[in-house]
Amino acid sequence: MYSDLLHALPDVITFTNFAAVVIGVIAGIVVGAMPGLSATMAISVLVPFTFGLEPLVALGLMAGIYNGAMYGGAIPAVLLRIPGTPAAVATTFDGYPMAQKGEGGFALQVAVVSSAFGGIASAFALMLLAPPLSRVTLLFGPSEVFWVAVFGLASIIFLLGGNPVKGLISACFGVFVSVIGSDPIYGDDRFTFGQLEMLDGISIVILLVGLYALPPVIDLLETPLKTDGVNSSKLGTEPIWKALPRMKYWKTWIRGSFIGIWIGILPGAGGSMAAFMSYNEARRKSKHPETWGEGEPEGVAAAEVANNADTASALIPALTLGIPGTAVAAVMLGGLLVHGLQPGPMLFRDNPDIVFGFMWQFLFGAILLIPLGGSLATNSFARLLNLPRPLLGSVIIVLMLIGVYSIHGRMFDVYLMLGFGAIGWVMDRLQFPLPPVVLGLILGGFAEENLRLALRIGRGDPMVLFQNWTSLILVALTVAVIIGPSIKKRYADRRKQA
Amino acid sequence: MPERRTSRLTRPETLTAIGIAVVAAGFLIPTYDLRAISSLLPAAMLIGLIVLSVFLLVSDQRKAGAGEDAAPMTKSPKRVVGAFLMIVGYALASDFIGFYASTAVTIPLVAWVFGYRSPVGLLIATVIVVGTIWAIFDFGMSQDFPTGRLWGR
Repeated sequence: MYSDLLHALPDVITFTNFAAVVIGVIAGIVVGAMPGLSATMAISVLVPFTFGLEPLVALGLMAGIYNGAMYGGAIPAVLLRIPGTPAAVATTFDGYPMAQKGEGGFALQVAVVSSAFGGIASAFALMLLAPPLSRVTLLFGPSEVFWVAVFGLASIIFLLGGNPVKGLISACFGVFVSVIGSDPIYGDDRFTFGQLEMLDGISIVILLVGLYALPPVIDLLETPLKTDGVNSSKLGTEPIWKALPRMKYWKTWIRGSFIGIWIGILPGAGGSMAAFMSYNEARRKSKHPETWGEGEPEGVAAAEVANNADTASALIPALTLGIPGTAVAAVMLGGLLVHGLQPGPMLFRDNPDIVFGFMWQFLFGAILLIPLGGSLATNSFARLLNLPRPLLGSVIIVLMLIGVYSIHGRMFDVYLMLGFGAIGWVMDRLQFPLPPVVLGLILGGFAEENLRLALRIGRGDPMVLFQNWTSLILVALTVAVIIGPSIKKRYADRRKQA
Repeated sequence: MPERRTSRLTRPETLTAIGIAVVAAGFLIPTYDLRAISSLLPAAMLIGLIVLSVFLLVSDQRKAGAGEDAAPMTKSPKRVVGAFLMIVGYALASDFIGFYASTAVTIPLVAWVFGYRSPVGLLIATVIVVGTIWAIFDFGMSQDFPTGRLWGR
């Protein structure tokens, strides 16, 4: 089962593929360090540029960006008390007080080593857990695959938290977009309105760029952000190899890794929840909880190890079942589709070199954080905070246009992307979750195809969808995911009243 | 906090819910011309959207009835509208005038309008970005960009 993992290694350590990871990590740190930009947005902008690249080069860039950005978010969190990414909120609690005391450099070094530790643990979890899970899912037929898609959508809608009505609207919108174009079996035009450009359906890239890249650009231009650079100028940096012996946080790192991996696997949770849980748990176990919040380096370690430990693990359900655990994982699924790689059990059977190579790239990306982030972060990356946001916004607009235009070489796609961008901005402001839209687009067509196939096998009898134990278990899981949060809430309310 | 809007129907979520219902209903019409099996999923999603938007509308109006104020969608509407218009304008300019000319104007213009006012910085940034795009995409990857419909190309 794991022999494919070893076979994939030589492909990953070629110069081009390895360079892609290095570039990805650096780009990820840069993106993560800029408040308002996120790994999701960076990967969305990157995906169209990867069309002409070899799959492993493209995936290496994505893996690097994801790892780098999760650490990069710590830079403004420590220096400005502005989390570069949502997952870095817990890093501000002790990171910023450390920076105020002139220990910003050490705080960033703790962050980078902890991030690397979490990322490595997460990559190992992906390597160990994904292959056996994919073997189980290989046994699935059309009705089981249909239920997996329904379960995936239900999980991301109901476990993401927030308003389930808004989550359902997002998912319905995503599934509706997935059916635009020619009918897969009869070839009927569906909602193309005579536009030849829409016959092949809506490219996931157009939707990703519109939903995830345009709203942050509007945010960059909407809110002027002035940074004083005070803490950047008194980092108190020493070489990372001298700082390493001062970091004795093994227990926190191991505990935080487990928390991050578990949260990553759960659909809908994500890095910020992992960081908060790990931070609270480490503080609870600390001998000096009173020092937390006033510049305790272990607090930075707890938050950063967990928010990086959910990176690769979020891909366990994404790669094996096609159900992403986080928004970034959903965007990464889009990146896989661009290269003709359909996430799910067949991916492991048909493209083992690529899928296992991708896992190695996650591991290398995490390891590279120490030399790349550790040596440069405390000096060069801190200066990124002074980049003018309007200029950054205008450059991203240009990159968005190039990326989307280059898919088919037509402006129609650009206008479509702007339309999705406007919808995405409204959804973002009204707190409609965006991941269900992406997942709806990815799983919608997949679910429809398998539903119709199952119905054909059952000669039109819908009971074919409930005729085996696997399907029934998946139905039960879907129901549990839908009613679980409300039961939990009622239980919590009763306990409060009692 | 009392509702500050003149009409409860202008609350952002209410307007969005109405918009979703109207658009979804509009998209339902073409499904009548499709085969039943082809229209099954799209019709289910559109009907779902209509029903859910009614839920959203009712829940938002209940909030309004309870005196809950709806947060504004933006604190700087002019900047947001300006940003959208500039992005749309850039896309149209690329289409009709050509990519390089539009990009060379858009980068400094957007940055200037939204607060970065260093002429030297703008010049350097524009030259670097346009030059890098040309070197990587045009020269390196032979990528064609829009050359401008107005010039008949």
